[in-house]
Amino acid sequence: MHGFGPVQPEEDEPPFHAVWEGRVYLMAVALMRRGLFTLDELRDAIERMPPAEYLAASYYERWLAAIERLLVEKGTLAEGELDAAVEGQRR
Amino acid sequence: MSLPTASALATRFDPGDRVRARVMNPPGHNRLPTYARGRRGVVEEVHGVFALPDEVVRGVARPRHEPVYAVSFESRELWGVDGSERSAVSLDLWESYLEAEPAPTDPVRSSPGGR
Amino acid sequence: MSDDHGDEERAENTRRVGLLTSLLEERGVVSERELDELVEAFVARTGPGQGARIVARAWTDSGFRARLLADANAAVRELGLDMAAGTAPHLRLRVVENTSEVHNLVVCTLCSCYPVAILGPPPTWYKSESYRSRVVRDPRGVLEEFGLELDPALRIRVWDSSAETRYLVVPVRPEGSDDHGEEELAALVSRNALIGTALAGAGAG
Repeated sequence: MHGFGPVQPEEDEPPFHAVWEGRVYLMAVALMRRGLFTLDELRDAIERMPPAEYLAASYYERWLAAIERLLVEKGTLAEGELDAAVEGQRR
Repeated sequence: MSLPTASALATRFDPGDRVRARVMNPPGHNRLPTYARGRRGVVEEVHGVFALPDEVVRGVARPRHEPVYAVSFESRELWGVDGSERSAVSLDLWESYLEAEPAPTDPVRSSPGGR
Repeated sequence: MSDDHGDEERAENTRRVGLLTSLLEERGVVSERELDELVEAFVARTGPGQGARIVARAWTDSGFRARLLADANAAVRELGLDMAAGTAPHLRLRVVENTSEVHNLVVCTLCSCYPVAILGPPPTWYKSESYRSRVVRDPRGVLEEFGLELDPALRIRVWDSSAETRYLVVPVRPEGSDDHGEEELAALVSRNALIGTALAGAGAG
């Protein structure tokens, strides 16, 4: 792909921009340490995201989506279980 | 897992060897960046032995473990006239991503970017 | 990459992560408290300052510098740092030195690989499609965007972290810093200098 604009550095960036980001990152680390999936599988799951979804997602949203996908594929979560929980809490 | 020293490894390539990144188009996960496919480089270092990610993600029970090499590619080799004379990109590549590249036999032909 | 997300997205993501954590806690996989402890420990233990310590030590101690170049994983343990504490314990650390002839730059064109176990998470710009696709093609052009205009005679080496090695740049020691102690020297080394998009010097940090 082309057409990317200039790089835009942010001054003095904190490690995470929101609490949820840090939790996603360390959740991935914990799950990998626990042997649920490998770093290769995490990268692969991100690569398998539908392109439109991938481009619309922020960095840690991609990690979150990949973690969810892997947890479903490994049988820890049921398909749609998290979506249902989110919907349930919204009402 | 990596082994501590290069001398303990049976490697197909050694530092200084000329190699070419394979042309490939795998359907799944792969760690050979597109921009290097088919390009000539020089092995600079052996990093150790690591599981091939292509197989790891396919759920292969015992994925192949291969040496991983730091391979340097001159900018002109990668980008042609749009490349720069004094610039190179080093990539870390699994052994099966590489093939041997014979030295040029014609002395008039210049080597890619010099080394 | 859309990183300009507002409060609504933040709330959505917070809710989603919270619910996922609950589900995982129910299954005995990981708990919310454990996650918070992990985050706290991670943030305390990692950061650009740790990389700066490595550089300052390498500048002042030639034995350490030699050990760092020979086996960086082992050498950084002398400073209480550990690559094995990160995402994947087997990752190799490789230190690349800037000299009067060579300037090094680090990228991960395929994703965002970075020595997180020492430096913490990479900056957002490092993970951007813009940096990742352009720095391998036009490193000088990208450096100019960082306000860095390199001597054209310098050779640029871009290290694409495409496998299990993570790269850390040792920038050139600034002139006039001969009498600086290690702490003072470390203050001259910014996160960007450790990636190669800045020089070490006053105004860094």
